[in-house]
Amino acid sequence: MSDREPSVDGDPAAGAGDGPVEAPVLELRNVSTSYGPVRVLEDVTMEVRAGEVVCLLGSNAAGKTTTLRTILGLVRPSKGEVVFSGERIDGLSTPDIVAKGITMVPENRRLFGRMSVRENLEIGAHMREDKEGIQRDVDRVLTLFPRLKERLGQKAGTLSGGEQQMLAIGRALTANPRVLLMDEPSMGLAPILVEQVFSTIKEINEQGTTIFVVEQNANMALSIADRGYVLQTGQIVLSDSAKSLLEDPRTREAYLGELA
Amino acid sequence: MPSGTLHFPTRALRVGLVGGAAALYLAITGVLERFNTREVITDLLDLGDLLILLVMLGAGYLAAGRRKGASDAGIPVLIRGLVAGAATGGVLAAFLLIAKALVDAEVNVREIFISVTPRLLNETLSLGQSTALGALLLLVAGGVLGALAASLQLLSPASRRPLLIGAAVMLFVGLLEGLFAEILDNLRLETGWLYEGEGLTITGAVIVFVVAGAMAVAWARFKGQVRKSVETLPPPQRKRMRTGALVAVILLLALLPQVVGRFNSNVLGTVGLYVLLGLGLNIVVGYAGLLDLGYVAFFAVGAYTTGVLTSPVSFLVTEEGAAAAPSGFTNFWVALPLVVIVAVVIGVLIGAPVLRLRGDYLAIVTLGFGEIIRTLVLSDWLAPFLGGAQGLLRVPAAPPTSLDLRSPERIYYLILAFVLLAAFISYRLADSRVGRAWAAMREDESVAEAMGISVIKYKLLAFAMGAAIGCLGGTFFAAKIGSIFPNSFGLLVSINVLAVIILGGMGSIPGVIVGAFVLVGVPDLLRDVLPPEYRLLVYGAILVAIMIYRPEGLIPNRRRRRELHVEEPEEEQYEPGAPAPEPVIAAGAEGAKSP
Repeated sequence: MSDREPSVDGDPAAGAGDGPVEAPVLELRNVSTSYGPVRVLEDVTMEVRAGEVVCLLGSNAAGKTTTLRTILGLVRPSKGEVVFSGERIDGLSTPDIVAKGITMVPENRRLFGRMSVRENLEIGAHMREDKEGIQRDVDRVLTLFPRLKERLGQKAGTLSGGEQQMLAIGRALTANPRVLLMDEPSMGLAPILVEQVFSTIKEINEQGTTIFVVEQNANMALSIADRGYVLQTGQIVLSDSAKSLLEDPRTREAYLGELA
Repeated sequence: MPSGTLHFPTRALRVGLVGGAAALYLAITGVLERFNTREVITDLLDLGDLLILLVMLGAGYLAAGRRKGASDAGIPVLIRGLVAGAATGGVLAAFLLIAKALVDAEVNVREIFISVTPRLLNETLSLGQSTALGALLLLVAGGVLGALAASLQLLSPASRRPLLIGAAVMLFVGLLEGLFAEILDNLRLETGWLYEGEGLTITGAVIVFVVAGAMAVAWARFKGQVRKSVETLPPPQRKRMRTGALVAVILLLALLPQVVGRFNSNVLGTVGLYVLLGLGLNIVVGYAGLLDLGYVAFFAVGAYTTGVLTSPVSFLVTEEGAAAAPSGFTNFWVALPLVVIVAVVIGVLIGAPVLRLRGDYLAIVTLGFGEIIRTLVLSDWLAPFLGGAQGLLRVPAAPPTSLDLRSPERIYYLILAFVLLAAFISYRLADSRVGRAWAAMREDESVAEAMGISVIKYKLLAFAMGAAIGCLGGTFFAAKIGSIFPNSFGLLVSINVLAVIILGGMGSIPGVIVGAFVLVGVPDLLRDVLPPEYRLLVYGAILVAIMIYRPEGLIPNRRRRRELHVEEPEEEQYEPGAPAPEPVIAAGAEGAKSP
């Protein structure tokens, strides 16, 4: 555990060959988060640059979800800073952070099952005031997921698993985020659906949204990511370009949960 | 009786015997005798007869019903009904004979069955005939009624329905003689053709039956056409029509006190009060999903604030002032906005400490708050200000009514006006951004928070809105009753208001209104229908029946109906080309209508 953050800072080359290299839009600087006496994140430092897809790998209880919750202001870090486009956002309330342009697709979709598809999309845009902008983004989501268009009036809970995942992503996109956080988008989906979801993520990224995705399915996540971090028991143990991580034997062990 | 080639209708017999047991129970516990004092159709049918009649009809109807795999499927329907009805009548007849024999043998039956009076045996059960003839009549009547009810099963639903509706309306009009006679009177219409004494005249009964039946037939025939022509109307016209309907309903509500008389106007005022409270709690529970069991706190705050501000005996009025002019600190209209402000403050104060609590925990804590408020107003500590156990007296009625003339009609109008206002606000809120945020919070607080919804803000908003409306309820209560006692603010008020919105349909405004009518109005309507000791029994049975057959409430809101009548989500399917499956919502709602 002592060899944490071996190569996070000072290696712009980690941004991989074709990835756009820009100033980081989202940064965690030496962040520690605790739930009461239990320390979950320990001195985590990472960055997401504009236009990237960055994935955070790790086994159960590694602190992946807590990382997202910390970014979104749902828990306060006990130490360290969260910086979003040059501005500290730790300490801000979740609504303010969402308004600044970070939204999350929660684990297990977590739709508002008794509300209609349309209402779910509208909830996503809750923090926005510009009616035309919202409509534009709703249209964008419906273009991305034509199946949702047929079901606008239907109760979200009656959608199939794949459709629910589309709606969960769509709901986050109507907030028009600059950074989209995704918590285990592959969870509970059939392999074919997982592939579809990841190609959708790639598509969204190509349309200009920066994506930070937390996953256990490392193969899948690394195949679309530019860079990746590996989290273990609250600490970043590896960070590299997606390609190198895919080939790194340590990653292969890491996402099985046992690092030598 | 069945011929030799057929099986004996065992099931029908069993149904009939169960019916007989029920009828017997009604007879020997004295229910029958007690209900016999009330006429439904004068000189023909009283409430007690009606009960036995309904048991016999019910037995016949159930026995004749088709059930898959029943052993008696091959037996003609009429015979089954006949057997069931006769069995019911037979049980009563047997009881009559045995009891009579025992009485004749000078056995004291009433030592155990206190209600088996000579009157029951000699008049009620034996129908005024000799015992033997009476028993025979019971048996025959049972058989005939059973077969009659069974024949209903042979009819098509289209022809059965008007008959049942006609009969139901006839009974309804007969039983609510007090109300309808009063209405006719107030409309200066003749009542003699319809009522005689407490019950319907025979002509009146026939007329009501025919008219109601005919209307049911007409509605069944033209329903589709009407609906279609409404649906094909252009939207602006449809909107105008909806507005027209709304105006008509409001006009009708405004005219009600003029026709139903003083007593019923008073009841209407109470119903209106509960509608108001229901609308307030509906925002907290129905919209925002915060189960508040201490809603009475706001009601009490409203009533006491009004009392303190307007009563001439309030501590705010100095003795010199009181000597000069016997009036309160301020008048009703000034007090009203002050009450709302106090309410919002109290709402936020109560809301703030419970922000982190959810579900059951929230319910328990709010329950505590309700009790705290009641204990506070009862306490000696606040007695100099709030009157303690003696309460606050001489709260003036709301203007333009004076203290001496506390007119139920006038306060009804005042309540109606504020009910309309509260309903309008609720209606607009439900489909607004705030309403959606509440709905999201109700479903999944954590995700709502992650979506950027400020849970704290919206919870406090819900509490404040609910408090404001609940306090208004308290204000009108104070102005309506004139004196406020701590006892009026017990837990039961919270429970009743919650029951109103659950019964009516959570989150639905028409539901709240209908719920309040049923929950608050019906007990008073039953007052001159049923013997007092059975009134609440029947009332309770009605509530249980409603909740079993309409768990989503009488007029559910769209979302809630979907919730209770939709099948589970289907299996995974992602093929882009596949057609969308039937919208299950429609199917579910349809199924709910005709179980």
